[in-house]
Amino acid sequence: MNTVRVVFVGGLTSYRALFNWISPWIFIPHTLGYPIFEILFFAYLGRFAGVQSDRFFLVGNAFLAIAVTGMFGMGHATAGERRSQTLATLLASPANRFAVFLGRALPSIVTGCFVAATSFAVCAAILGVHVPASAFGGLALATVAAAFACTALGLCIGALGLRGRNVSVFADVITACMLVVSGANVPLHRLPGWVQTISSGIPLTHGIEAARAIANGSSIAGSADLLAKEAAVGAVYLVIGLIMLRLFEYEGRRTASLETF
Amino acid sequence: MIPAILTGIRLHMKQASRNPFDLSGVIVWPILYATIASYLLDARHEPRLLLSASLGASVMLMWSLVVIASSGALEQQRWQGTLELVVAAPTPLTAVIAPICVAGALVGTYAIGATLAWGALLFDVPVKIDQPLAFAVGVPACALAVGMLGLILAATFVLYRAAFHLGIATQYPVWIVTGLLVPISLLPSFVRPISWLLAPTWGFRAIQEAALGRTPWPDIGMCFVLSAVYLVIGGSCLVAFEYVARSRGSLRLT
Repeated sequence: MNTVRVVFVGGLTSYRALFNWISPWIFIPHTLGYPIFEILFFAYLGRFAGVQSDRFFLVGNAFLAIAVTGMFGMGHATAGERRSQTLATLLASPANRFAVFLGRALPSIVTGCFVAATSFAVCAAILGVHVPASAFGGLALATVAAAFACTALGLCIGALGLRGRNVSVFADVITACMLVVSGANVPLHRLPGWVQTISSGIPLTHGIEAARAIANGSSIAGSADLLAKEAAVGAVYLVIGLIMLRLFEYEGRRTASLETF
Repeated sequence: MIPAILTGIRLHMKQASRNPFDLSGVIVWPILYATIASYLLDARHEPRLLLSASLGASVMLMWSLVVIASSGALEQQRWQGTLELVVAAPTPLTAVIAPICVAGALVGTYAIGATLAWGALLFDVPVKIDQPLAFAVGVPACALAVGMLGLILAATFVLYRAAFHLGIATQYPVWIVTGLLVPISLLPSFVRPISWLLAPTWGFRAIQEAALGRTPWPDIGMCFVLSAVYLVIGGSCLVAFEYVARSRGSLRLT
């Protein structure tokens, strides 16, 4: 019960702190503007290249918005504490580590899903892409699966923040790689075989594939295997992340490097 | 003032080139954009188009670095509590901030080499620069113009602590509007006049025209003209915004 309280009260506090720090008049255009223009950029690039439809880029890049918030929200949780020199104090508390950091990431994830849905709707209107209302449930399910998997990967990145100071740059590079490797912007069959192998083991790939199938008229049952794969990938990263969190905290305490900046 | 600017550019370039991990981001981002463009544009079977896309991806990164460098440097000084000292120093704030922006853009020139090498190795992009002299002049001209555009953006960073986020949000719109990967002719007609006001349009055209052996010199000239205009506008904005921040006492707010 206490763990649940830490997740939700901690998350609510960090969200309130976020809006205390940044005005919604800046936060909203930033969070919505970036993915909207990203979708438009790649959709126009696709039109220019004559490759795939607007729908392909719309779904792929809307899902990238989830990845960005999940990975950065979780990844930056430790980096932010280190930057404000509160990491050692936080780790001295008896609270469950996963609950503490998940609490900080949870608002970002919820925001990410909202941003993905809004930018999807806005860009669908701009690009003239029609998605049947019957697909919305399946798309929401794919969104949740992708958000879970990306947050789990973010946990691994956040754990690295206990040992390294440049995790934001690292998260940035990982996000950049996902532009290509996840199949968000390049059809997977165009990528080399070894990249396709990597693709199948990272978050987002199966989620995007499932979402594209659903947006094209497939049923949830028809995409169930893809959704299950996305959740399974997330579960694997979650386990790895929890192990890394425990290991790096121990190492950080042993070498007294938690406050190194 | 000029020695201060030149020293600042040298200092910030050295500083930005020190951390290999940070530099990896400089290399990876444009390479990935060039990769996406190559995989997509490969369908058109125009090798010179891929060369153009590699250059466009480099200028994209140049703009990103200018945004990040100008805002990041000010944010860092806020955190360290040195921003007031910089503002209080007799050196004009323009001479402190302009080098940060230009150095950011110059670091972006590393990406040109990286994307061209990547394209040649992986996608058989023919790396043939038809007018080497114009290319050699065009690259720094492009960096200067893009950096000076960043100066205008940086002026707002003095005033608003969260302006970094607005700066980041300008990346994709500027990339779209300036036609770095997607031709402007493909975009709605109202975009064209906007593109004329933005340095990446002319900077990219300058190096693209030089590489493809067309007429780069008018575009290079436009880079220098725009740099001067941006310097005047950015400098004036900085003076005005610095005054506002001083009178509000908001310089140190982190």
